[in-house]
Order: sequence, then C-alpha cells, then structure tokens
Amino acid sequence: MNTSNNREIKNDKDSILELANSLRWDVGPNYYDELMESIYKDAAKIADNAISIADEKTGFDWDRFLDKLLTSRVSGFPIMLLILAIVLWITVAGANIPSGWLSTLFLDKLHPVLSDFAITIGMSWWLKGILIDGMYLAMAWVVSVMLPPMAIFFPLFTLLEDFGLLPRVAFNLDNLFKKAGAHGKQALSMSMGFGCNAAGIIATRIIDSPREKLIAIITNNFALCNGRWPTQILIATLFIGALVPPAIAGFISAMAVVFIALLGILLTFLSSWFLSKTILRGEVSTFSLELPPYRPPQILRTLYTSLIDRTIFVLWRAIVFAIPAGAVIWLLANIQVNEVSLAEHIIQGLDPFGVLIGLNGVILLAYIIAIPANEIVIPTILMLTVLSKTLTGFGEGAGVMFEFEDLSSYQTVFAAGGWTLLTAINLMLFSLMHNPCSTTLYTIYKESRSVRWTVVSALLPLLLGILMCLITAQVYLLFV
Amino acid sequence: MINVIYVMLAIAVTIIFIAYLFHPKKGLIYRIQRVRQNIQRRFIEDALKHNYHCETQQLACTIQSLAGALSFNIDRTTKLISRLEELSLIKLNGKGLHLTSQGRRYALGIIRTHRLWELYLANETGIDEIEWHSIAEIEEHKLTEDEMDKIAEIMRYPRFDPHGAPIPTKTGEIPPKKTIPMTELNVGDYARIVSVEDEPKTIYAQITALGLCQGMEIHILEHTPQKIRFAAEGDESVLAPLIAANINVNLLQRKPHIRTSKYTLADLDPGKQGTVIGISTRIRGQQRRRLMDIGIIPGTLIASQIRSPGGDPTAYEIRGALIALRRKQARQIYIDPKKKTGDQR
Repeated sequence: MNTSNNREIKNDKDSILELANSLRWDVGPNYYDELMESIYKDAAKIADNAISIADEKTGFDWDRFLDKLLTSRVSGFPIMLLILAIVLWITVAGANIPSGWLSTLFLDKLHPVLSDFAITIGMSWWLKGILIDGMYLAMAWVVSVMLPPMAIFFPLFTLLEDFGLLPRVAFNLDNLFKKAGAHGKQALSMSMGFGCNAAGIIATRIIDSPREKLIAIITNNFALCNGRWPTQILIATLFIGALVPPAIAGFISAMAVVFIALLGILLTFLSSWFLSKTILRGEVSTFSLELPPYRPPQILRTLYTSLIDRTIFVLWRAIVFAIPAGAVIWLLANIQVNEVSLAEHIIQGLDPFGVLIGLNGVILLAYIIAIPANEIVIPTILMLTVLSKTLTGFGEGAGVMFEFEDLSSYQTVFAAGGWTLLTAINLMLFSLMHNPCSTTLYTIYKESRSVRWTVVSALLPLLLGILMCLITAQVYLLFV
Repeated sequence: MINVIYVMLAIAVTIIFIAYLFHPKKGLIYRIQRVRQNIQRRFIEDALKHNYHCETQQLACTIQSLAGALSFNIDRTTKLISRLEELSLIKLNGKGLHLTSQGRRYALGIIRTHRLWELYLANETGIDEIEWHSIAEIEEHKLTEDEMDKIAEIMRYPRFDPHGAPIPTKTGEIPPKKTIPMTELNVGDYARIVSVEDEPKTIYAQITALGLCQGMEIHILEHTPQKIRFAAEGDESVLAPLIAANINVNLLQRKPHIRTSKYTLADLDPGKQGTVIGISTRIRGQQRRRLMDIGIIPGTLIASQIRSPGGDPTAYEIRGALIALRRKQARQIYIDPKKKTGDQR
C-alpha cells in the first residue's frame, strides 16, 4: 500500500519535472530576464512605499561643488596630478629619515653584532656568510628601505580613497582607458602601483570583469613603484643633472624622473590597448562606477587597515623572497670556479649582450638576482661592480650589499664600472620596463591563478625594455 | 678558453630542448599528433553538421554540397564520406547523404557545444557578437562531451543560444521549429524576433549593425518586394527581403506593451532628468542584472549630474547614489524625458 503510494508520488514528480522541462522550450530565451525584472520592479515598489525621504538639505552643497571642481575640464586633471605628485613627494622625501634610522639599526648596529656573535660561537666563515651577510642582510635591507615609504604611502592613499577622491580620478580618466579597451577603475590600481605594484595588483580586485582585470594586472608594472623612484632620482641626479649648469641641475634631473614616470603612464595605455587588440580581445561588458559622497576620512581606522592589510602584507611577502635571494647573492659572489667567482663568470657571459643594449653584465645580473625587490638593485650593482672590477677601498666584501652616503663615491664606482650617459639613460628606461619583482609576480599569480598570465606579465615589460634599450643604444651610438 | 658556465648552459639548453620535444603530454611531437587528430575530427564534425542543417532545412545533401560547405575538392570529399560511412555516421543512398541515428546524435552534440559556446561568449566575455560564431566554430571541436556537460551545468542548462536558437539537450532533444521568417509578415503586423541566423556572416553583420536581436518586438510599416520597413525599439529600419529572411519571428496577436522610447539616457544632458521606461533587449543576462542592481528599473527617476572631462562617462543620480555609466550603456536605457511634476518644488 505504502510503496505503491510512494511510487505514484514519484511518478507524479517525474511527470511534473518532465512537463516543466518541455515547457522551458516555450517560455523563450528571455524568461529569466523578465522574471528578474518583475522581481526588481516589485522590490522597488515596496521600497518606494516604505521609505520616505526627508526634505532635501538646504544651503551650500559641498558634494556638488567638489564634484564640479574635481571633474571639470579645466581644473580636473591639474588637481589630480598635483595631489598624486604631493603624495609621492611626501613619500619619497619623508621616507628618507625613518629609512636612515632603520638602516642604522639593522645594518650599522645589528649586523656587526650578529657577525661578532657568529664568530664567537665558532661558526664557519661560509655559514656566517650565507646566514648573516646573505640572508640577514638582504632581509634587513628590504625592511629598512621598503617599510618607511609603504608606511607613508599606503595610509595617505587610503585616506584619499576614503575621502572619495579616487573614484573621481577613475571617472576623469575613464575615457582614455575606454579607448585602450580597459576599465576606468584601472586608474585606481595604476595610482596604487606608483606606491607598490604588488598592492596595485591587489587593488585590481575592484574591477569585476575578468578581462579588464587581467589588463590592469599585466600593465600595472608600468606604474613606477616606490622601489624604483630612488633609483631614478639617483641616476638622474648623477648623470642627467651633470649635463646642465649646476643652477638648473636639480630641476632638469627632476624633469627626467617625471618624464620616466609619464612614459610609464603612456606605456600603461599603449600596452592595455595592445593587449585588448591581441591576446585579450573584447570590450568592456559591464561598466558602472559609483561616485560615493565625500566623507571625512576616519584617520585611525585608515592607519590601522592600511598598515595591517597593505604594508605588513606586502612587506611579509618581500621578506619571504628576500631571504633566499640574499643567500643566492652571497653564494654567487663567493663560490669560485677557476679562482674567479661565479658572479664574475656570469657577468662576463652577460656582458656582450648587456653592452649591445647599452647596459652591462653587472646591471643585468643585478636585475636577475635582486628580483625580490627593486630597492636592492642599486646596492647589488655597487657590490657586483666593486667585485668584478676589484676596486679596493669600497664596500664590505664579496656578496655584501652596501650603499654610499655621498654622491661622489657613487660617481667613482660607476666610472670604474665603465658607465656612460647611455648606461644611465638605459638604466632609467630598464628600471621602468623590466619584469616585476618577485613579490609582485607572486601576487599576480595569486590574483590571476594562472602561470600563463604571470609569465605574460613578466615577459611583456621585459621584452619591451630590452627592445627600448637596444633602440636607444643604437641611436645613441649613431651620434656619439 | 672554454668557460665552465657556457658548457653548463649548453648542456642545460640541450636537456630542456629534448624534454620539450618528447614530453608525453606537452611535448612538441605529442602536440603535432594531437593537432593532426583534431583536424581530422574537425572535418568529420563539420560534415555531420552540414548534413544536419540540410536535413532541417529539407535540402538535399550531396557530395557536391558537402564539398562546397567544407571547401574541399570532390576527391577529398569522397574520402571523407567513406570514412564517415566506416564509422556508420552516414548512409549513402543513391546520390543523397543521410545521417544515421548515431550520426544525428553526434551532430546534435556538436550543435549543442557550438551554441553553449556562443552563449558563454555572450554572457561571460566582452567579445563582440560578430565574432561569437567563428570562435565557437573552432572551439566546438575541442571539448569532450563530459567537459561540455560540466559547462552546461555551470550555466544552469540553458535552452537558447544568444541568437535565440534552441540548444539541444544532453539526450539530443530539440523542439520543432515553430517560427516564421520575417518576410512572411504583413503591413501592420506586430511580431517578436525569436532568433537570428548567424550564418552567412555578412548578412548577420548587417542585422547586428541595425541593433536587431532576439527578443525585440517589431511592427511592420511597409512591405514591398524590394524592402521591408519596420519599427523596432523606437528606431525605424529598412531591410532587403534577402536579409529579412534570416530573421525568424513569432506573430503577436495584439499590440505589445511599449517598453521603449525615442529617448535614451544618453540623450540626457547634465542637469536634466527623466524616468526609466525600460532596458533594451540587447542587454541581457548578467549585464542586465547589473543595471537593475544599481536601480535602473522602469519607473525610476534618473537625473544626469556630471560629465567626465573626456565627454564620457556621465554620472547619474539613481535612487540617491551617484553612478557613472558609459555612453554605450546609457544608449540602451530608454527614458521618458518629461519632468515629473512632483519633483518641482
């Protein structure tokens, strides 16, 4: 009795499902959309009946006034650029002081203490080299040069975000991004990239369509990050500034750095356009950009979240990569084959190609082994130059990165390395256009979950940089 | 002097190269084999598809028609046909080629894959509609049936492709065609576009250039042997009968409820406002839902607020929030620009 009843119900269920399935052919393709629309319509009706809006506020409308100011044809772009420039200037200038403290603590004070300690407990010289001069030093270096700029830039940036300025930047720039086949919100990840590319790539999460998000990820590297500003400034001051009378040297070298940064922005647009015409074809399918009302930023919360979510997060990843890289750097400089260090062998191997593209073997090797952070490229170049040219009186020994206090020492070492104006120009270009640091690459992998796109993100700027350096070198040699 | 580094480098490069050649799944040799198999598979599948289309359109499928469809010469076509017979996918009956029931199932499977691909491209990517067909034409040969079932499941077993054509079910079920071509409509008729043929490409391009797509309601204004003039979503269009024959419609018994207008959101200059009448049928699926999410629902009052210095996008005040939309989207939202009296204080 019971079983037959069950079977009947089961049969009923099957026949209902069958009927429903056959009816699906009749309701047509837009059935879901129509259903959704009627649900939304009902919801809107209920909401309209239930919600009463108080009389509009009278008096001066700050939001509209600010919107007009920030998005006007005349004042929109200058204000945007000015604010970004101020933030970057505060970051670069302001980071020097705490960076100095940290490097005094970690490099000048703690490093000798650790070295002495290692010797006292009878650690063999090579183990001490790998652990203290390699791993510890690379980590300490990364912390002392990365932490202060990030701790300044991220809170400032988050404040601007909270205040509501950044969506207006995206709004202003969207037309340009549209022409490049990208999303206006890429303006946000690009601006963030000026602070740190890894953070810029995390910021692409706000772009909800996968194609435009990938474009934003791959091109983020063209935003000159905090780790590269100091390199640009140093090289521009030493080589570009030296070309003109001292009175305007500062101005001209600043202009050279600004030019590189603007070139980076141009490349962001060009490469976005290139990608959306080739491997990432298509158009922006869904676009909507909310311009939230301006609100006073919550300073304490901002400080907390930007320090925890962004600064510590990025720094941790950088440290993880810096430690093994430090060991590699030290080992390359200290393992000897035929009584010459491995680093020198590689430098010799890379030199012909390096010279062809207007750089040299030392710079190329430095870019390979200093992959954990752009901040340690210059110290690595210095160490490798001193090592390969067997300069005496400079540095701390093979495999130990260092930096100078005064510009003239830089000049001496670079001159000994055979640097010319071309080397300097191409180093500035290559610093803008080369593979992202390992922290950024790892972040790209995490965000895109694809080895392929990670490889594309690394190779696109690298190949572009090599090509650009090659052209510059050949043109330069025509005239000099 | 032989540099140690160079020797090590040379050995490493050689090892990598050999591994690249012979790797069992990713190696070059394996891949070349795969490509050759795929090409063979593609011809078989394309032949079956051609046969199926002939069947549905009640045209004779012959060696000649198949050779034409695949751009093969007769020799090559004959070889392919004997291979298809071997696999008992078709029967040769006099001059005509006929699908066996097994062959029909196979053909329906390919059509299912093709249409699911088109729907995926339409809903999930920003790729232009002109390219959907040609991409699906290549991708349809690459997936196995199991993979396609998984995709169908993720897409919740859709029944229609973006052009309005039915997608066969897993068991090969497909409804009989009930539509009529647009050329059979008379002056004054109201009809709804059910599907648009995506082949031949040039004709399809003309239809999409006019912004016509499935789901649209049309009203025939003039019908002569030379042209058909009709209204669709606020615009008047003219088509030659040759092209109109590629649009399949259902006759509507009475005048449909108007959800369109001459004005779109893109016509609203900053400072002006209007009420939403409807969203164009061209915007579908996720895109449509996104617009409704931000409150673009018939009856909503929208005020145009600020325009970007680049001229596009424009920010609109929608239900208390300021939201920027690009011109291309704003053009798909029909509005009534008349001011509501209640808003003037």
